[in-house]
Amino acid sequence: MAVSLTVNNRAIQLDVDPETPLLWVLRDHLNLVGTKFGCGGGFCGACTVHLDGVATRSCSTPIGKAAGRRITTIEGLSANGDHPAQRAWEELDVPQCGYCQAGQIMSCAALLARTPNPRDEEIVAAMNGNICRCGTYVRIKDAVKRAAAMTSPANVMRSE
Amino acid sequence: MRSRRDVLRDAKSGIVEDPLGSGSGTATTPSRRSFIAVSLAATGGLVVAMRTELLGAQTQMAAPAGPVGFPVHYIQIDPDDRILIWSAQPEMGEGTRTSLPMLIAEELDADWTRVRIDDAPLDQRYGGQGVGGSDAIRSDWDDLRRVGATARALLINAAASQWNVPAAECETTLHVVRHQASAREARYGTLAARAATLTVPRDVPLKDPARFRLIGTRVNGSDNHKVVTGQPLFGIDVRLPNMKFAAIAKCPVFNGRPIKIDATRASRIPGVRDIVEIKGLDNPTFLMPGVAVVADSTWAALKGRDALIVQWDEGPYATESNATLTEQFQKLLAAPPSTLHNSGRVDDALAAAAVTVDNTYSFPFVSHATLEPHNCTADYRADTGEIWVRGPIQMPMSAQSIVARATGLAANKVHVHCTRIGGGFGRRLMSDYAAEAAVVAKAIGGAVMIVDTREGDLQHDYYRPAAMQRLRAGLGPDGTIIAWDHIITSCSRNVYRKDPRGEHSTETYGSYVGVVQRLDQLDADLQPTRIPNARLRYGAPLTGVATGAWRAPAHVVNAFTIETTIDELAAKAKRSPVDLRLTLLGTTADVPKGLNDQSPYDPERMRRVLLEAVERGGFGKPAPSGRARGLAMHHTFGSYCAHVVEVSVASLRLRSGQAGENGQKRVTIHKVVSVGDVGQPVNLSMLEAQMQGGIIDGIGAAFYGEVPIANGRATSRNFGDYRMIRMREAPLAIEAHFIPSRLRPTGFGEPPLPPIAPAVANAIAVLTGERIRVMPFLRAGYTLS
Repeated sequence: MAVSLTVNNRAIQLDVDPETPLLWVLRDHLNLVGTKFGCGGGFCGACTVHLDGVATRSCSTPIGKAAGRRITTIEGLSANGDHPAQRAWEELDVPQCGYCQAGQIMSCAALLARTPNPRDEEIVAAMNGNICRCGTYVRIKDAVKRAAAMTSPANVMRSE
Repeated sequence: MRSRRDVLRDAKSGIVEDPLGSGSGTATTPSRRSFIAVSLAATGGLVVAMRTELLGAQTQMAAPAGPVGFPVHYIQIDPDDRILIWSAQPEMGEGTRTSLPMLIAEELDADWTRVRIDDAPLDQRYGGQGVGGSDAIRSDWDDLRRVGATARALLINAAASQWNVPAAECETTLHVVRHQASAREARYGTLAARAATLTVPRDVPLKDPARFRLIGTRVNGSDNHKVVTGQPLFGIDVRLPNMKFAAIAKCPVFNGRPIKIDATRASRIPGVRDIVEIKGLDNPTFLMPGVAVVADSTWAALKGRDALIVQWDEGPYATESNATLTEQFQKLLAAPPSTLHNSGRVDDALAAAAVTVDNTYSFPFVSHATLEPHNCTADYRADTGEIWVRGPIQMPMSAQSIVARATGLAANKVHVHCTRIGGGFGRRLMSDYAAEAAVVAKAIGGAVMIVDTREGDLQHDYYRPAAMQRLRAGLGPDGTIIAWDHIITSCSRNVYRKDPRGEHSTETYGSYVGVVQRLDQLDADLQPTRIPNARLRYGAPLTGVATGAWRAPAHVVNAFTIETTIDELAAKAKRSPVDLRLTLLGTTADVPKGLNDQSPYDPERMRRVLLEAVERGGFGKPAPSGRARGLAMHHTFGSYCAHVVEVSVASLRLRSGQAGENGQKRVTIHKVVSVGDVGQPVNLSMLEAQMQGGIIDGIGAAFYGEVPIANGRATSRNFGDYRMIRMREAPLAIEAHFIPSRLRPTGFGEPPLPPIAPAVANAIAVLTGERIRVMPFLRAGYTLS
């Protein structure tokens, strides 16, 4: 089936079984391997992308349902790898093995887009679906706060 | 006597154990000899290389690709001042690609911001590639510093000859050689070409640790930017022209094999190209039998596998279950077949003891559940008969041997490259996935990635062995432990991998072969130098379940038994659990030194770690209302760790429709205060990360980790039923402290794990009066809130 979608602001047309999960289209057809396969069942969040700006598990999203929609992957989150979440993750040295971190960052970015100054409970609620097998949760939580501080209006005013 | 570390060393050197071995095991532990050489880089810079020879090892390695005797690169210093360091060891999250290059950069006095790191390929001349047993830093501590120091000496010599001043009068600061008296200085890049023409100085002295400026600081991961921008780093990200993807069906029952394959439906799935039967090797840790479905995409391969109809010979273990294993464990506990240690008069001492405990513990199979699932890529070229294997490979040298064995190719036709690894935790000490990829690649005559689903990954793991233990212990009238009678029964990893070195040797205290004469010879878990009457017995059941090493393998379960029992003894006797531990520890002089052990166990270091954790964690002082503190300590892999945890427990009352079990106790871990002693800390950011991660992993596995066995198969499906700890359940705060030290460094990937579960259980016991003696804690009615 011919499917049209927009991935990282690029219009894409491809012929693929509509049941194919978005994850495998990204990885195998479009060679965007930053989005990771972790469980295939929406349990771990390693495959998190933004679908029309909403954090979505690409492993359990058939490509047919993504047709015509705007998809952002870790590769397209920022032009130069400098989204506040990416900067905070680097600055606080969050990654251990690093395999889950693209998904973590995508969940964080979606959270900050709608809640620029999340409370602790909001951070946990937004990030709890992302498993980190290495257990970097302490630094992830700190990095979400750091990223929020980088983007909050108060911070921008101070820096001006 | 061979230790676990010897086994790892052999795995690194490509020595694969002979499953039908004579009983003498493998060749003797190799010793190393290395030479440093220099050359001019194509950029006009300096290349510093080292060749390391393994002596006495029967390696099955490829012949060197370059000119004979040409050493492998470690450092390149370019005229523009950039420095490239090749890291020869795989990275799986423990920070080797940062901390090992730091050793070179420190001695070189390099400006870290101008250092780039690149991966070295598998090459025998690196002198042993592969990491495990928390040994990366401790193995490479000497050689890598020597490479850096020699490069620095060359740059000084280059400057001295250029300025016509004595080298001894020159110093280095960051990236600069300086001659104070003549007020001259030169940047490294400008000296590189001249340095490449000089004779390599020998026996260059290493830095006085007091002058370290990089070692002992916080340095961020060298690949962080690539990780956070989603660049292809991992095994599963490998892409080759015209590569195929394959999913392998394996018999759901352990040790089964395919007898009839009907691929009619599978072949009709669009994109499916080939069906390849994998015969398996005589040792299931090398290669399990199965049927691979090869397709144009991962999704087509997975759908093709689902459509396969395979008739399996399920083998002799098809009725095995948790219940049959428990029955075997109980029989073994009642009559343990081997006595590994027996000193004093244990039965008499127990009978005479003033306070006794008699505890039975049970432990489940636990999966590694690396977040990057089982995968590997291989590319076979029929014209040259060579194969390239790229993947999340932790043990490239044994991967090469196993691939050679599985494909029938000569080892020098097998080229292995390690990608970044999306989590190891012991799973990737095996190289079965490399063999799978290679066999399929050879069969199709091209490039293929084998990949498994989470379900397949959980059901065909090499699990941490299930175990039951009984520990009886008693205190004398003076409040010291006078009797210790420990029985360990567990599924033996050595039996599973057909290793002749003794069924108990990976499961009991430390690692040793044969009957030890004194418990104080054992290298881990308990050094009861002050227990006069002690006995250790062991038994292994017959089982088909696949087993392997899981982060701090048997130490996790043994420490749980030991540290909760000591705590309980202290509580029963109304003694401080700190004091009771101190009476057990003894002194440095109590522990005989192994000849080759550069970081021997020292009870006085354990004592300091314990006391510092007690002090910093406020153990023994009143906890906030409704909370209690628990304590445990442990020594493994040459490092020391103690945790003080602060917990509260609430009873779960469910509203209708809410998931969970009524009456389940919900544990909140408010705070963990931890102290580690790793000798000289190398990278404090990574040490802190390992402390945090080890604690969280240890807590998650203790509360939830269980792979149930039914009808001879693992029944875990996915992360819905095989629960992993999440952010909400992780401790609210973790404080990590490291003892300042100049002693030879040891690793910390595993040491934080063993003491965390007992520390939590000991705290829970204070609040509820209930002693948890089963993992997962979920089975005792406890969950994390």
